[in-house]
Amino acid sequence: MLKMTLLSNVYRTEMIETHALRGFDIHVREGEFVAVTGPSGSGKTTFLNIAGLLEEFTDGEFLLDGVNVRGLNDNQRSRLRNEKIGFVFQGFNLIPDLNLFDNVDVPLRYRGFNAAERKRRIENALQQVGLASRMKHYPAELSGGQQQRVAIARALAGDPKLLLADEPTGNLDSQMARGVLELIEEINARGTTIIMVTHDPELAARAQRNVHIVDGQVTDLLAEPVLRAAEHAAERAALNPVQAG
Amino acid sequence: MFAYYLRLGFRSLRRNPVLTALMVITLGIGIAASMSTLTVLVIMSGNPIPDKSAQLLVPLLDNNPKDFAADAKLPEQMSYVDATNLLAQHHAKRQTAVYGFTPYVESGRKDIPPFQSDGIAPTHDFFAMFKVPFLHGGPWGAEADANKSDVAVISTKLSEKLFGKTNPVGRRLRFNDRDYQITGVIGDWAPLPRYYRLIAGNPTYGDIEDVMIPFSTAVGQEFGNQGSTDCSSDSGNGWQAFLRSECVWIQYWAEIDSPSARQAYGDYIAAYIGEQKKLGRFPRAVNYKLYDVMEWLDHQGVIGKDSRLQTWLALGFLLVCLVNTIGLLLAKFTARAGEVGVRRALGAPKGEIFRQFLIEAGVVGVAGGMLGLLLSFGGLWLIARQSRSMEAVAHMSMSMLLATIALAIACSVLAGLLPTWRACQIRPAVQLKSQ
Repeated sequence: MLKMTLLSNVYRTEMIETHALRGFDIHVREGEFVAVTGPSGSGKTTFLNIAGLLEEFTDGEFLLDGVNVRGLNDNQRSRLRNEKIGFVFQGFNLIPDLNLFDNVDVPLRYRGFNAAERKRRIENALQQVGLASRMKHYPAELSGGQQQRVAIARALAGDPKLLLADEPTGNLDSQMARGVLELIEEINARGTTIIMVTHDPELAARAQRNVHIVDGQVTDLLAEPVLRAAEHAAERAALNPVQAG
Repeated sequence: MFAYYLRLGFRSLRRNPVLTALMVITLGIGIAASMSTLTVLVIMSGNPIPDKSAQLLVPLLDNNPKDFAADAKLPEQMSYVDATNLLAQHHAKRQTAVYGFTPYVESGRKDIPPFQSDGIAPTHDFFAMFKVPFLHGGPWGAEADANKSDVAVISTKLSEKLFGKTNPVGRRLRFNDRDYQITGVIGDWAPLPRYYRLIAGNPTYGDIEDVMIPFSTAVGQEFGNQGSTDCSSDSGNGWQAFLRSECVWIQYWAEIDSPSARQAYGDYIAAYIGEQKKLGRFPRAVNYKLYDVMEWLDHQGVIGKDSRLQTWLALGFLLVCLVNTIGLLLAKFTARAGEVGVRRALGAPKGEIFRQFLIEAGVVGVAGGMLGLLLSFGGLWLIARQSRSMEAVAHMSMSMLLATIALAIACSVLAGLLPTWRACQIRPAVQLKSQ
């Protein structure tokens, strides 16, 4: 589903060069649920942004569902992002002026579906996250957990093959977090590939595979699904005892 | 997507009412100031007879005395001798001499006491030359000119005043102690400016004259000229001496077949002056000028320097308003960076973001345009209060009304370009993380 080979990303200013990713290799197969962990500044977010086609990379190769994304223009990248990828963010990122229906509608508009098809998909997506009865409500009228469910519905409505989740439970209490995680697992069970960036070792432990990033490199990539969360947590604590997120 | 973006644009207006109101008011005031002055300028500088303005010529003949300076201005009007000579030669397709007179109208009704009106004396060609429409009847014929007949064409205003809504053609109009048979009532004709009789001291704008009688009849009745009379030499004693003098007091118009016939008409005028020189007239070198309608308006300074200056000032003010709107739109769109990031992440290419925000700016423009339109009417009302002439030109036509809306949208889109471009440059990854 996603394959990055010797990927590097360098931010340059007049004074300094920062290597956000270097020699980055990862291969996520279709249907996998991968948790990405690592200390702050390790390159997790950069990896997620590149994986989500939100940022360019400096060198290397990146295949998304068999499409080489290097050299694609903005329209092609946007199209690919819209068709293949769903996003779930820590801060939910709903548009406050739009009600739930219209929020979920946003990616479908860019896909060019007709009104009937959009309505069917929106209702279906909100049904899946248990908020079909509140589609005329606005984000501010919902709890954090409900808002994250709407964000997941928005990501699902376009039927993406890959769901990128950046700390999806970071702003939720443990009960809400559990509900959201169960929803993500359900989505994965239906065949959607999930890549989830998290600091939470318990959350990472629920994934089929853990990928650990340190200094822009994958330090521990196991081919088989193995639970390594506790080990990663200890390693993270050793690397950065005051790490915040 | 256009309807979707339009809906988002209207929704966005409600999002921050204070900022929206500021933008709409700023734009509205700028639009109103520029459109009200521009409306006046356009009407002032418009071509009153676009399909034949190049074929209607005013010939100016230099009959100044020999001792006048070499660069002395040509007389703005014509002497009676030259006007009647040129009329008699009938060289152009149509021609008319025109001068103004003052009729004292007697209605014969107790409820309408005698009153002073205004009139002009042209030839029958005048009506065809200037495409004068008729509500009832029509112009008098060539024989009426030849026979100095007592016939008249009157305005709708005078007709309604004297005869109500009835057709007065064939009835008598009495003025200056004489009866004139009405041949026609002029319909909806309000040329702006009144280009057919632009001479010093004559109002440029306003209603047309109420009474028109044949030039020959007015001269025969010895109706004095109501307008400018310029005598560079002695005008003699009595009406006949005045007619024989070199005094200039008649405006002359000729209609040529096509603009290309202008040179030939000029040659004819030069030849005429040459002939008159042999008779002892035109003591200076042969000198004449031809003006078509637009040249004549320009020569007469119809569009005042003040009007042009006011328009430039108003457009400058609009520019200031635009710059302010750009600033306000920048603030508005910058606050929406998060939304841009989300939309980009959900698959919106930069082009779609550009379209969305530009349409939103356009919506602000339409709202500003509507306000500007209301304020423009107010501005024109104020302009109309300045003078009777300004009252005639301070009216917004349908085309100017549409132009106002178009200008408002164009301005807002122009103002929206920079903020929209800035919005498109937002890096979604940064915004999504900072939400």
